[in-house]
Amino acid sequence: MDKTSVQKKEWEPKIIAFLCNWCSYAGADLAGVSRFQYPPNIRVVRVPCSGRMSPNILLDALKAGADGVLVSGCHPGDCHYISGNLFARRRFAIFKSLIEFLGIEPGRLNFSWISAAEGEQFAKVVKEVTERVRALGPARRLVKEI
Amino acid sequence: MKVLRLDKADLERWFVNWAKTREVYGPLRQSSSDSKSISVNKSYTDWAILKDGKFPELGTGLPKSPIKKFFFPQPETLFTCSKRKGDPDAFVFKEPENRDNARKVLVGVRPCDARSVELNNLPFEKDPYFQANRAKTAIVGFTCRDRCQTCFCKEVGGSPVGTEGMDIAVTQLDDFYMAEVITEKGEELVQEGGGASEASGEEISRLKESKAQVESLFSSMSDPAQALEAMKAKDLFALYNAPFWSQLADSCINCGICTFLCPTCYCFDIQDEVVKGTIRRIRYYDSCMFPLFTLQASGHNPRGQKVQRVRNRFMHKFKYFPDRFGPFSCVGCGRCIRECPVNIDIREVLKDLLAVE
Amino acid sequence: MSTTNSTITEDIRAKAKQLLSSGEVAAFLGFTTGTLPMTMRPFVARRPEDAERLVWNSFCVMNLANYLPDLLKSVEPPRGPKDPPPEGPLPKVGVLATGCWSRNIVVQIQENQVQRDRLVILGIGSRGMVDRKKVLAQVDGREVWTSEEGEHSLVIEGPGFKKEIQRWDVVRDNCQTCIHPNPVIYDYQVGQPVSPREVKDRFRQVNEIEAMSSEERWSWFQEEISSCIRCYACRNACPLCYCPTCFVDDSRPQWVGKSIDLADTSIFHILRAYHCAGRCTDCGACESACPMGIHMRLFTKKLEKDVLELYGTEAGMDPDVPLPLTTYKEDDPQNFLITEAVGQTSEAGEGVKP
Repeated sequence: MDKTSVQKKEWEPKIIAFLCNWCSYAGADLAGVSRFQYPPNIRVVRVPCSGRMSPNILLDALKAGADGVLVSGCHPGDCHYISGNLFARRRFAIFKSLIEFLGIEPGRLNFSWISAAEGEQFAKVVKEVTERVRALGPARRLVKEI
Repeated sequence: MKVLRLDKADLERWFVNWAKTREVYGPLRQSSSDSKSISVNKSYTDWAILKDGKFPELGTGLPKSPIKKFFFPQPETLFTCSKRKGDPDAFVFKEPENRDNARKVLVGVRPCDARSVELNNLPFEKDPYFQANRAKTAIVGFTCRDRCQTCFCKEVGGSPVGTEGMDIAVTQLDDFYMAEVITEKGEELVQEGGGASEASGEEISRLKESKAQVESLFSSMSDPAQALEAMKAKDLFALYNAPFWSQLADSCINCGICTFLCPTCYCFDIQDEVVKGTIRRIRYYDSCMFPLFTLQASGHNPRGQKVQRVRNRFMHKFKYFPDRFGPFSCVGCGRCIRECPVNIDIREVLKDLLAVE
Repeated sequence: MSTTNSTITEDIRAKAKQLLSSGEVAAFLGFTTGTLPMTMRPFVARRPEDAERLVWNSFCVMNLANYLPDLLKSVEPPRGPKDPPPEGPLPKVGVLATGCWSRNIVVQIQENQVQRDRLVILGIGSRGMVDRKKVLAQVDGREVWTSEEGEHSLVIEGPGFKKEIQRWDVVRDNCQTCIHPNPVIYDYQVGQPVSPREVKDRFRQVNEIEAMSSEERWSWFQEEISSCIRCYACRNACPLCYCPTCFVDDSRPQWVGKSIDLADTSIFHILRAYHCAGRCTDCGACESACPMGIHMRLFTKKLEKDVLELYGTEAGMDPDVPLPLTTYKEDDPQNFLITEAVGQTSEAGEGVKP
């Protein structure tokens, strides 16, 4: 019993955040510049557009041992490439539903829209995602062990 | 050769005794215990470990998958190494530490499956992994009593009552069993199993009689030895350019069912997997049906078309392999016929090949 | 053979013979009898006399649309990669199509894999195809030597048994819940159109799984795919899978490991299903082809349900309706976003800006 509680204390969720170059990445920047506090559990990967996110990449993150994934892009209508996030929205909706249907815990995979002006919102989302993933515990499903 | 007489209780005791020091595998029905209406319903027998006194299905029919996975596992780890920073042994390939060294006994192996081990031994003769797996695995075969509609072992040089590749060959006679102890490994198993009596002369003659009767069930469309010689004598290019390949390719979907479920398909690929700071080099099944099988680094693919890939499987089995090693690379188990979703029948292909002038 | 099937078979033979001998089509794609009962062999008739070998019955489970892109290429006059396309119309191909297959052809037309003007489609109203595995389960996995199909029953014979079973009891799950048995596009109708069936709940199986907990669903998924041998028959039997290089064959980066590790197999099945999102017509070819009895159809059925609920479309019903994942609406539902839970600090994201 002691051992598990110690382990839980030591364990910190590792969350991969795929942020779109034009909005969410700038939003993360603003959060930093504005000194908004958010948990240090995210590792940011900058992508050109949320429409670039293929499910292959999301599953690869989970397979490689990420405890959670956050994908964030521009608000609908604000996409630098006009419609990238609108296509992405359909894909994410379907994909999230599919993997939860197949037994991946809801909360491992998170999506949001954060604009370049929403530094505070970014901090809030990261906090929420971290809490959700922490509540779920370390990712086991889909993690490859050899 | 020693011949023993066994009752079912003797067999059960053997399995239990062997399981004390070895892993005993046998064909078990793969039905699900799930009571939900969305059940995982798999109504076939397949290889599974025999635990808690479970008795394998030794009746008719073949288990779904061949026994090659015990000798040529999917995947086999060849080497492992660390790629961690600061590890003095980083990038030094080593024998895997947790290699599966358990001794295994396979019970209820059909003569075709047992023979496949002998055939695979030809290309894998100097392969240390195959040989190590072979050394630690004993085969307790069960000779056939009935013929499935997809059986054709006799046409490719096997026999429904053959003992090739087995350590012990068990034959069921009415209500008791006869066990022929063939190898030293088999002898060792008999010692461990314990308590079986030598068969009487009358029982041995009954065994012979029963075997001859089963053999007569399996008529062959051609003399297997003659067919083999004929195939070896045929011109490679005449076979290669035969017109029927394109018709075969018309219906083939190029999946890997036939190769993965074939006991004698042994092609593999090797790759390095990196997972969390550990590299492992694995050997896993590959199939000549897949375009990637022959894709070269330059981007050129010598077997880029479906018809070329379909042809390769049969040419390998019936021409390339006999030319190189002697026998056909086929034991006639009929799994590829039974499982093929588009009913490509290897017997028809063999017939077509033999008809090529 | 039942009268329905024999009438259809006769019609197919006559029409195929006429199309081939008049030279309207270069090849005709149908089914012929194989060497085993309950397994039909897809067959390409290239000469008028081949048409006599065409057969139709309840075991024609392979989706013929699967063969079309390759078959169309194969009847074109040979040319090098840099040669210009030949002048004049290219040769045509004749094909049988039931409801789901015709919808797959529509999807292939939308995705530029086949050209409508190069196809002569013989439409057949499908009475539902029989699942060979269900028949085998009825006789405890014993061998079936012969099967004789009547109008509403099947008589099967094997070692020591002869049994009559109701056809509908062994019809495939996807056919039992099918509401589009008649082809959506065709040039000629063969046999009679099937009157639409009453299907109580076409997503019953999906709903049952959805009702389970996350852990239960995961263990169901893992148990289902644990016997997967990665032969890719499900992929290759699928008319939607025509990519020259599949994601499983990618090596840089490698998305899916090659061996039968459960994590890799899970990822393979998730991605394979996902690639069919909004395109799958629930034809059941994947499940029929699977040698290990995995019900991978349920994964794509869930996608079908989601797409219908979220975007109101069904794949391949109308060539003019774009495929759901190749289009968008500005007010698409987005309640899956985490921001819905956190709440918005600014007005951005409240609907859509003009």
